[in-house]
Order: sequence, then C-alpha cells, then structure tokens
Amino acid sequence: MSFLELDQVSVAFGPAGNRTEVLSDLNLKVAENEFVAVIGFSGSGKSTLINTLSGLEPPSTGEVRMAGRRVTGPGPDRGLMFQNYSLLPWLSVNENVALAVRTAFPRLSKAEVADKVAHYVRMVKLDHAGDKKPHELSGGMRQRASLARTLSLDPQVLLLDEPLSALDALTRSELQDQILNIWETDRRTVVMITNDVDEAVLMADRIIPLTMGPGATLAEEFAVNMARPRDRHTLNDHPEYMRLKSEITSFMMHLNKESKELTAGKVVPMPDIRPRDFSLPSATPRLKPRAQHPTSAA
Amino acid sequence: MADSSIKDKIKYALLKGIDVSGFKVLDPPVRLAFGEEPQKQVRDIAKYMVLPILFVLACLGIWTVMGPNHKTKSGEVPTPAKILTAYEDNKRFDERQEEKASDFIVEGAEREATLAEAEAELARLEAEAARLGELSDEIAAAAKEQMDARIAPLRSELESLKAKHGELEDQREAEMTALAGKVAEKQAEPAELVAMVREHEKIEDAEGATEDVIESRIDEILANPPEEVKEAQMAANRVADEVQHYKKRIAILTNENRNVKEAEYLEKIAKDEAELAAATEPKKVIREAKSIARNAERAESATTQTYPRTATIFWQTKRSLATVFVGFLIAAALAIPIGIMCGLNRIVMACLTPIISIFRPVSPVVWLLIFQIIIGAFFPDPEKHPLFVSLNQDKWFGWLPNPVAFLQTNPAMIFSACTVAMCALWPALVNTALGVSSIDKDHMNVAKVLRLGFWSRLFKIVIPSSLPLVFAGLRISLGVGWMVLIAAEALSSSDGLGKFVWDEYQNGSSQSFANIILACFVVGIIGFFLDRIMIFLQRLVSFDDGSATA
Repeated sequence: MSFLELDQVSVAFGPAGNRTEVLSDLNLKVAENEFVAVIGFSGSGKSTLINTLSGLEPPSTGEVRMAGRRVTGPGPDRGLMFQNYSLLPWLSVNENVALAVRTAFPRLSKAEVADKVAHYVRMVKLDHAGDKKPHELSGGMRQRASLARTLSLDPQVLLLDEPLSALDALTRSELQDQILNIWETDRRTVVMITNDVDEAVLMADRIIPLTMGPGATLAEEFAVNMARPRDRHTLNDHPEYMRLKSEITSFMMHLNKESKELTAGKVVPMPDIRPRDFSLPSATPRLKPRAQHPTSAA
Repeated sequence: MADSSIKDKIKYALLKGIDVSGFKVLDPPVRLAFGEEPQKQVRDIAKYMVLPILFVLACLGIWTVMGPNHKTKSGEVPTPAKILTAYEDNKRFDERQEEKASDFIVEGAEREATLAEAEAELARLEAEAARLGELSDEIAAAAKEQMDARIAPLRSELESLKAKHGELEDQREAEMTALAGKVAEKQAEPAELVAMVREHEKIEDAEGATEDVIESRIDEILANPPEEVKEAQMAANRVADEVQHYKKRIAILTNENRNVKEAEYLEKIAKDEAELAAATEPKKVIREAKSIARNAERAESATTQTYPRTATIFWQTKRSLATVFVGFLIAAALAIPIGIMCGLNRIVMACLTPIISIFRPVSPVVWLLIFQIIIGAFFPDPEKHPLFVSLNQDKWFGWLPNPVAFLQTNPAMIFSACTVAMCALWPALVNTALGVSSIDKDHMNVAKVLRLGFWSRLFKIVIPSSLPLVFAGLRISLGVGWMVLIAAEALSSSDGLGKFVWDEYQNGSSQSFANIILACFVVGIIGFFLDRIMIFLQRLVSFDDGSATA
C-alpha cells in the first residue's frame, strides 16, 4: 500500500498567458518505510518536486496524498531537509533544533525539550558544537545540524533535497553512512533528491529518474535489489551495483542527449560580423607590430 | 603553559572588545603589549596611529598660525589655545553656579563656616586683584609710553606734511583766483580754468592719500598694544571676576539663603503672634492673623526654593542629550513597528509609500515650526500643566528624588524632540522595511514547514533576521537626529547646545567666537560617541561576524 502518493501532478509557473510547466503528469507511489531516490540533472525540476511533496509548492493540477489524505500545505509530519541547510544564523545548533522541537511538541516541559534536543544533536554527532552558531561550523556540520533539526520533528516522511550535493566527497560519504545508520535503526519513509548515481544506488530501495525539463516527468524506475546494510568498501565488486550504476548512467546520458537534440533545432545562427577597428592611428613608431584584434581571430 | 593560555585568553578578550567597539586602531598596541610580531605591530602603529596623530597636529599648527591672520567683526579667529581657555572659563563658570546653588541651600553651622571661608577668600582675592590691577596699569602705562615714543615721530611728520600741503593749497587757490579774474575779463579761456581745477583736485587727492598712509600707521600701532598688556589685563579681569563671584556668594550666604529667609519669616510670625495675643481690637487681630498666614506661606515656599542657575554649556549639553534621546526613542517606537508592517505586507507598503516619499525630504525647519504650533496648542499654560509640573518637581510622591528635574522640561524641549523624531524616523523605517522584506526565502520556508504562527514567525524569524538592518537604520537615525536637534535648538531657542551657539553668536563678547568653536567640538565629539554606541549595539545583534553590516 502506498503511503505517499503523487497523482497526475503538474506544476507550472508564470502568468496565465505564458505558463511554463516545470513538472507534468507525475505519478509516484512510495510505500511506508521505503527509501526512494529521485535522480535528475540540475535544472530538471528536482527541487520543485520536493517542494510539491512537502506542500510548499501546491500542484497546478493533480494531487499529493499522504496516508490517503490530501496534502494542502507544509507541516512537521513531512520533515524537509533543505539543500542549503537553512539554519537560522542567529541561533546556535541547539537553539535551532529546540525551535523545531518546541513547535512539533508544544506540550513538552523545558527539561524534556532539552533532553530531546540533546538526543538528536548527539545522533548526528554534533554534541561538541551544540553552542556554536551556524557561521562557525563547516558545511558538513551545518548539514548535520539541519538533519538533526529535521529528525527532531519526528516526521513520518523525510524529504531530503539534495542534502549532500554541497559537500566535499569525504564529508559526503561520511554523512551518507550516518543517514543510512539512522534510517536503519529508525525506519521511516524517505524521498531523497540527488544528482549522484553512486549515492542513489548506495542508499535507495528504488531509483526514479526525472526526465529533462521543462515539462519533466518521472521515467521508468530502477529497483535496487541489494541486501542491507550495504558496505561501500565492497560495493565496487558487487555485480548488481556495477550493473545498476552503468544502466542508470547510460539512461541519464541518453536523456541528456535526447533533450539536446530536442533543443538543437532552436539554435540561432549568429550573423557573421567582424568588429571594425576604431583605434586612432599612432604617430609614434611602435616597437612591436600591433597584435591582431582578438575577436576577429575568434 | 597554563600561564600563557590565560595570557592568550586576556589578549583575545581584549582584541574582541576592540573589534566589537570598532576602535580598530588600538589593535596593534594590544598585540605589541603581548609580544605578537613586534616589528609588524610597530610598523602598523607608525602607519595607523603615529601618522594620523601627526596629521592632526599639523592641522592644529596650521590653524594656530592662520587663525589670527583673519580679522572678523567678532575678533580674530581664535587659536586652539584660546579654545582651551574658553573651555576652562566655561568650566569655572559652571563651578560658580554649583557653588552658588549650594550656598543657597546650606544651613546652620555649615553656613557660618562657609561664610567665614568665603570672606577670607574674598579678602585674599581683593588684595590680589588690587595687585594685578596695579601691575596691569603699570604695564599698560609702560606700553603706552613705548607706543607714544613710536607714534611721536609719525605725528610730527604728519603735522609738517599737513602744514606743507596747506601752504601748497593756498598757493594753488591764489593762482586759480588770478586765472578766474582773467577769465571774467575774457582774457583767458574758461577751458584753461577747468583744466586747472581738475589738476588741483587730483593733487589734493594725492596729498590726502599720503597723509592717510601715516595716519593708518598710527592707528595700527594704537590698535595693537603689546601682547603682555592684553595678558595682564586678562589676568586682572579674571581675578576681578572671581572677586565679584565671592561678593555674590557672601550676599547669598548672608541674605538670600533659603534657610535664612525661612528664619526671617518665622521671626516675623513670632512677632505677629505676640502682637496678636496683645491685641484687643478685632480689626487688629484679623490683620495680625492675615500677616501670620501670609508669612507662614512664604516660609514654607522658601524651604523648597532652589537657586535659579544660569545655563552653562555643560547643562545645555545634558539637555541636548536628553532631547535627542527622547526624540530618538519616539522615532524608534514609530519606525520599527511601521517598518515591520511595511516589510511584511505589500499593501501596507503601497499605502505608506506616498506618505514616506513626500514627508521624508521635508526640511527639519518646517517640521520645527509645525510642531511648535501643534505642541504649543496642547500646553496653553505650561507652568501649570501636570506633565511639566510632575517632570520638574524636586521629589516624586514627596520622597523619590526626581532624576530629570534638572532638565527643566518645557514645551520647547517637547517640540524639539518631536522635530528630531520626525526627521530621524525615515532611515530607521526604510531600513526596517527593507530588512523585513529581504528575509531569506529559505528561512520563511523553515517557518512554513514548522507551521509557526504569526507571532512566533514574527519574533523567532522576522525580527531576529532583520535586526542588523534595523540597527543600521537606527544608527543613521541617531546621527540625523543629533544634527537636526542642534539646528532646531538654534532656531527655536529651546535650551541646548544649539541655543548656546546662537546666544554666543548674538551676544558677541570677546569670547563668543571661541565659545562657538568650543561648542562645535562638543557637538562633534558627542556625535562621534553616539555613533560608536550604535555601532557597538549593531555588532552585538549581527549574527554573521558583523561583516555584512559593518
């Protein structure tokens, strides 16, 4: 049974006369406690998709359903982790998490809130930096703080919007492991947006490519039939991993090529014009012959 | 190890304090004191401390040299040394007010002691004044002799020149008369006579000019007595002033002191009471009773009286600060809520934009006049208005000392503050609106995901994130307010530094010019510190190292 569902969803922007459809006819069913990765090129509408799932961006047509009920707006039951952390810069890590805890659980006493904050901050291994402000943290630490804030809402669905794309490779793999660890000990439904095939194959149960925008839609899915926990060190020898990786990569490359061919007809040939030389004739003798005008050569 | 880490902590605490307060120039000396890269610090001190100080000293030097060369109607431009003297004199003036005020209320044995002291001091000062007066006269006499010696040859030269010119003139007159006779007899051409008259006038002018040269030399000598004469005169005047002050003090201590007055009235009451007891006629009895009642009232009012001080520059400064503070608070209290509403809601912004656009460029002078009329209508009889009565009474509820009594609040202060508020409003308002409307969209998304209500969205997201810009606006507002206030006070004669400057300009004593320049420095230095305070607050509320709003 599907827990989170997109039913014929389209999202369009712009004034009525000149609407651009970013996403069209999206259908997606995510089962409870399933880890789904949506993979796509940048600019294909990935963030719009996650915003639609979270309720920040209402669909133009179709509907988003969670546990059978229509989603009408954002809420703490769908924890959204932003691509650029979105920590409040005037609050420390603990205070950022506490703000989320207090709004998700308004009945908790002060001590209970503090306990919960400490729990989630420890979970992402930030307890040594709980009193630091975001600008004092590295990118990885900020993303961990953002993860702690999202988790502290105790959401039924985790929506991860390219959570690791701004990080360096080492920090990235460390955080991937952390997210997987947390997910495996405390299962819940996850939709992750990514542009990294390796990351998708390593983490997800299913991988769904998003075709090129505008008017992007979801393509045929790839099921990842690999046992968990997956060990990144032996993964490169895993035949299934290698197969999936090459299949998805070639599928994505194909998508890219297709979209380029689609737009190829729109290329406008530039007029063949050379800039005229307006420089004043020089009276003094020059030591070097004047260089060719740079643009005329090009 | 532990020792050095404590040292490091102190060092970094100091550097942090310097950074937050914005006195970056003190950074190298602190680092030098802790022995960090001494060569670099010495170089930095030379570049950023020694050179600027030398530059300022050079400016003062140019001022000292150039100032006296420019003669104005209010005397020559005072040198920095004279400004310093003006400061000293203003300080002494303020102290005298303080002494007289305390003489006015001192009582009992203490009064006697103070009186004795003052009398002894007066005797000493009178002797001193006599000595200095004589000295000054001697010096003046000597200088006069010297000047006379210098003038005498010029005078005699002028005399002889005048005599010679007179003779020559008589000669020419005679020639002209002779020629005129011939013209009358038609023996000569009239044109010849006209030419002669013109020639005569030219010569006369030339002779007058040579006389003038000598006369102006004499005047110059007379107008510039030697420096030591002026100095001796000033020293004598200063002591004479002091003598006057002590005479006044003694008068206060013996007669005007409020306790002395009260005792006088009480004595009268006792006398009246005795007469009343002895009186037999009803008419006389009622007269005595009336007199007792009147004197009792006088005695009572005498006990609460204070000495009517004359305004000094220090008091005017305090009053200006109070006024600008009140105006600034009004401006902030209006600008921040309105700015937040404008930033949150585009309709509110659209409604207020025409009002802001039209009123922002209006000159403070216009606001001053408008508020003067409006505020004046609120307080037809300010002396008795409860607001001013309560603000100016000595004690609240009969026991709580009133900390603002010394300001002597009046409607002028209120409308000056309103003018300040009206002009200081706009930068804070516009900046607040900008800060609120330019909140990071991601932060608003966080608020949406957390489903924060309006108020927690306002207090947890909107206000904290716009605070740095709000404070940047408030800083500009305070600067504008301080500038506007001085002008408003000068124009409206509301007590404060502006009025001080205006009064000095109007009364034109020998020290006025120096006092005006002194006030200029006071205004500047206070404005500087107000700005520093705002920078400090701004850095406290900024969350990204203060770099974005520095």
